[in-house]
Parts: sequence; C-alpha cells; structure tokens
Amino acid sequence: MDFFAHIVTGFSIAGTWTNLFFCFVGVFFGTLVGVLPGIGPLATMAILLPVTFGMPPTTAIIMLSGIYYGAYYGGSTTSILVNIPGEAASVITSLDGYKMALDGRAGPALGIAAFGSFIAGTLGLIALQAVSPALVTVALKFGAPEYFSLMILGLIALTFLAEKSMIKALMVAAVGVILGTIGLDSMTGASRFTFDIPDLMDGIGIVPMAMGLFGITEIFLNLEKQIQRSVMYAKLTGLLPSFQDWMDSKWAILRGTVVGFGLGMLPGGGGVIASFASYAVEKMCSKHPEKFGYGAIQGVAGPESANNAAASAGFVPLLTLGIPVGAVQAILLGALMIHGITPGPMLLQQHPDVFWGVIASMYIGNVMLLILNLPLIGLWVKILKIPYGLLFPMILFFCIIGAYTVNNSTMDVAIMLLFGVVGYLMKKLNYEPAPMILAFVLSPILERSLRQSLLMSSGSFKIFFTAPISLGCLILAAVLLILPLLPGIRKKREEIVSMEEDAS
Amino acid sequence: MNAERVGGLVGFAFGAVVMFGTYHLGLGTLQAPGSGFLGFLAGAFVMLMALLVLVQTYLGRGNQTKLSALWKDTTWWRPATVAFLILLYVLAMERLGFLLTSLLFMLVIFKWVERFPWLKAIVVTSSAVAFAHLLFRIFLKAPLPQGIVGF
Repeated sequence: MDFFAHIVTGFSIAGTWTNLFFCFVGVFFGTLVGVLPGIGPLATMAILLPVTFGMPPTTAIIMLSGIYYGAYYGGSTTSILVNIPGEAASVITSLDGYKMALDGRAGPALGIAAFGSFIAGTLGLIALQAVSPALVTVALKFGAPEYFSLMILGLIALTFLAEKSMIKALMVAAVGVILGTIGLDSMTGASRFTFDIPDLMDGIGIVPMAMGLFGITEIFLNLEKQIQRSVMYAKLTGLLPSFQDWMDSKWAILRGTVVGFGLGMLPGGGGVIASFASYAVEKMCSKHPEKFGYGAIQGVAGPESANNAAASAGFVPLLTLGIPVGAVQAILLGALMIHGITPGPMLLQQHPDVFWGVIASMYIGNVMLLILNLPLIGLWVKILKIPYGLLFPMILFFCIIGAYTVNNSTMDVAIMLLFGVVGYLMKKLNYEPAPMILAFVLSPILERSLRQSLLMSSGSFKIFFTAPISLGCLILAAVLLILPLLPGIRKKREEIVSMEEDAS
Repeated sequence: MNAERVGGLVGFAFGAVVMFGTYHLGLGTLQAPGSGFLGFLAGAFVMLMALLVLVQTYLGRGNQTKLSALWKDTTWWRPATVAFLILLYVLAMERLGFLLTSLLFMLVIFKWVERFPWLKAIVVTSSAVAFAHLLFRIFLKAPLPQGIVGF
C-alpha cells in the first residue's frame, strides 16, 4: 500500500509543469551531450549546476538526473548510425549496432536500443523503489565505524572495478582524500593547506574541480589531436523492431537489466562496466557467438539495457547511504548538499518529496526520451556535423562562466584550470581521474567517521573489527584487494581492458 | 625518462610534502586524532603506492614509454595556448570586465587558435558572448564583473 502511495506522491511532485519542463530540459541536454563526443554528462552537469541554484532542490536534481540518463540514450543513437559513440557507455553498442546499420537495419537497431533502454530503465526504477526503503532500514543502524568501513569498501571497490592499474587508482583515490581535507577542520577549526587564501577556507568546490577534471581535460586532449569526423548517415527504414527481433532480444534485455542493476550499485560499476559486462554475458549465452561483432541484435539490446539499468541503480547507494558510486553521483551529491540536503538514510524521512519526486521524474523522463529520440534522430546527426573548432570554444566559455558564477570568484576559474591541467597530465600518464573526485567527496565523511570511531574506542582500531557490518565491509574490501593478484582474475581484467581499448 | 617513473616520482614527492605539512598541522593521538591525522595517513599511502609504481618500472613491468613520446605527433601547443589564455582571462576578468575579456578571449581562440576568417571569427564571438550575456546577466541575474569600462 505504502509503495503505491509513494508512487502517487512522487508523480504528483514530478508532474508539476515546472518539474516536467526541467525534466525535459535535462533529458534534452542529456541526449545532446550523449550525441556529441568531447563533452560528457559529467561536464554538462557541472556546467549547469550553477543554473540550478535558484531552483527548488527537487527540480534541480530532476534536471541533473535527466542529463545523466538522457546521455545514455543519445550515445547509442550516434554509435549505431555513424559509429561515433558520444558517450563511453555506448562504445560497445557500436560494434554490432553500426554493422546492423550498414546492413540496412539501422531502424531496428535504434528501436531495440531505445525500447531496451526504456524497459531496463523502468525495471531499474522499480528495483530502486523496492530496494531503497529496505536498505534505509539497515543504514539507520550504521554508526561511525560502519560508515568508515563502508567508505573504505567503496573506495577499494571503485579502484577494483574501474581501473587498468589498481595501484595507480588507489594512489589517485588517496590524493582525492587529501584534497577533501583542504579548508577549515570542522572539529578543531584549524585551517589546512589553505595558504591564507580566503576562497580555500571552505575547501575546494566540487564544481570547478569536476569541470576541470572532466570538461577542460577532455578539451585539452581533443585539441592535441586532429579530430576527423566522417559522418556517414545510414538510411533509416522502419524504427520498430520486428517480432523476430523482439524474440531474439527479450532475454538480452532482461539479462542486461540484471547485470546493469547489480553492477550499477557498486562503486565504480556504472554504465561503462555494465555495458561491457552485458556484452560478454550475451556472447557467452548465445548459440551463435560468432555473429557478435557482425550485427547481432543481442549485442545492442544487452549493453543498452545494462547501461540504463546501471543509471537507475547508481541512485540506490546515493539516496539511501549518501554514497556516490561514481563521479556523476558525486556531482548529484554536491548538488543536494548545496541545496542544504544531506543524502543518506534520513533523506527518505526528512525529504520524501526529493526522494520520490526524483524517482517518479525518471519514469517520466524515460517516456520523454522514447518519444523524443526516434523522431529527432535526423537532428542529432546534423548536430554531429558541427566542427569541433566551433564547439570547443563554446564549451570552454560556458565552463569558465559556470565556474565563476558558483561563488562569483575568479579563484574557482583558476581552480578549474588547475584541475584541467592536472587531469590532462594524469590522462597522459595513464592515471584515471574518476577515483580522485569520488574520494574527494567521500573524504569528509571518511575523516569524521574515523575520528569519531577512535574517540569512541579510546584509540583502539578494534572497533572496526568488532561491529559485524563494519567487519563484513572490511573483509570484502580485503578480498577485493587480494583478488587482482590471482592469475585467473588478473587475466580477465586484462581481457576486459584490452576489449575496452579495442572498442574505443 | 620513462613516463611511468616520472608519474611515480611526482606521486612520491606529493605524498612526502603532504606528510610534512600534516605533521606540522598536528597528528594528535589515537584517542583524539588531530587535524593532520587523516592527511598524514593518506600522504603515507600515496608515497607507498608511488613507490610500488617506481619499483614496477625498474622490474620492467607496465608501460615503458618515454615521457617525450607522449607528446610526439601531437599538436601539444594548442592545449598549452588555450590553458595560457584561460589564465589570462582569470587575471583580466575583474579588471576589464566580463564582456570585454570574453570578447577578446573568444576572438583570440577563433582567429588564432582555430584560424577562422576575420568575419566568421567576429560573428561567432559576438553571438556567443551576447548569448552568455543574455542568459547569465539578464536572465539568471548573475553578478558578472563590470571592470574599469563599466560593462
């Protein structure tokens, strides 16, 4: 009964004209940046974050979430039609999707990607609604030691799942923790690494940091190579998949949803890993694995379903535990905190409007995307033809204004530039910046829970091993640290990495 | 020099600086951890990981690319120029004002980095700055700096 009452509440909030409008704005911009290579959902969310300051918190999160899941839809369109994945999670879709387009089956490929995304997104939301209240009940039992161990597990899981070199990822995560301590110490009032700069007293802002690490870095990397886009527009015939297409894809969509939702809840999992894992699962389950890479519709349906289910799943730990599983969720966490809302177990009780309103908006957003995407495919392909030389100065300019307007301070623009350069150098040296931003966001919670735990136990680290939940998290973290040392696991990781590199 | 080794050395130096800085902030005790406690631990961890990266390079594992090879066959000067222009923008914005700085910034990028013809560069620059002015200053009422010229 409660379940339906919450759905009704959610839809009454998400269904207001204002929220519908900003949901549309979010999914439209999301699709747009999903189409365009060189700017991702993360940079867009960071750029548009200052625009949300004047909005009610629910509206702000509805719009930002729309950008996130909308980007996955947009990414698949260009992957299939022109073999240019605008978004990392759609890289694998291009393998079979583009081949289908070349064989004159672009319509069914786009159709199954859109319907698969819609089905997986919707099933993911139902699972999110079902899992979240149960998880909140558990999370309410969490004390400082449990939170500390959970943060450690989160950081290690992120580095285990997402990176080529776990050592480098752990190093980057530790740097993120250090950066998160900059500013006034909330317990003692001491200023840390502020160099007497007033703008640093509150610490480094997540907006300029994210814009630098993801937006500016991407621009710098694109500028040093010649981007040549040959946009071959495969002719579209009939967007609706045939009965046989549905029969061939139904299990792929369901398996993709399960794989995507499961991986999407884990730190570092996200849409990229989910889509690659789903592709591997489909190839394994298929009676004709040799057809993969040559236009197998399951190779489109599975990954596209998986990345959308992962997008829904990422909200579970964010909204229930206050833990972002990736950089995108870190931005959403930052946005909620800017609006005075702390995500976590209390969110459901203190701000049910935000919780249920955002979830309901995602149902609406998925429908909007389905209606939007198929008729607008021609427009998205035209947008792809915009030369990068015209596009990047605009992105850069709006990044600068966006960073400035957060605090009306040029210091934030300087910080954005600094992290842009740092991110560029990191990428050149094969260090991924994502663990840095996640650790940066988790750092204050990590520090507070560590200090509180040690105060509670009079300085004994035993406290982390006596509480069952805490011990469970630490054991799991230790397993994740040891696993890559096993030859079988190491080989699998290397295979996935090389598969990612080949696809991109 | 080996690029991996450079990364390891930078990480090692960063960790050392952080450990030094946090030690002076005060580590406190285990019963009452001080302001530098977590930073010190994290700094030590960075140093340890950097050391592992360095050891790997000496064992011949991982990527053996030279640092200079990372920029071979790239137009590295383009990101360097744009980074320098952003720095100039930061320094000039509050003195010259948003409109003038933005016009100069965008014009330089379109004309000299992207080598657009004059007319196209001027039209695109003016359109972008006018749109930003309308959106941020008029519509969103963002207090963008006016500078010495007053706009």
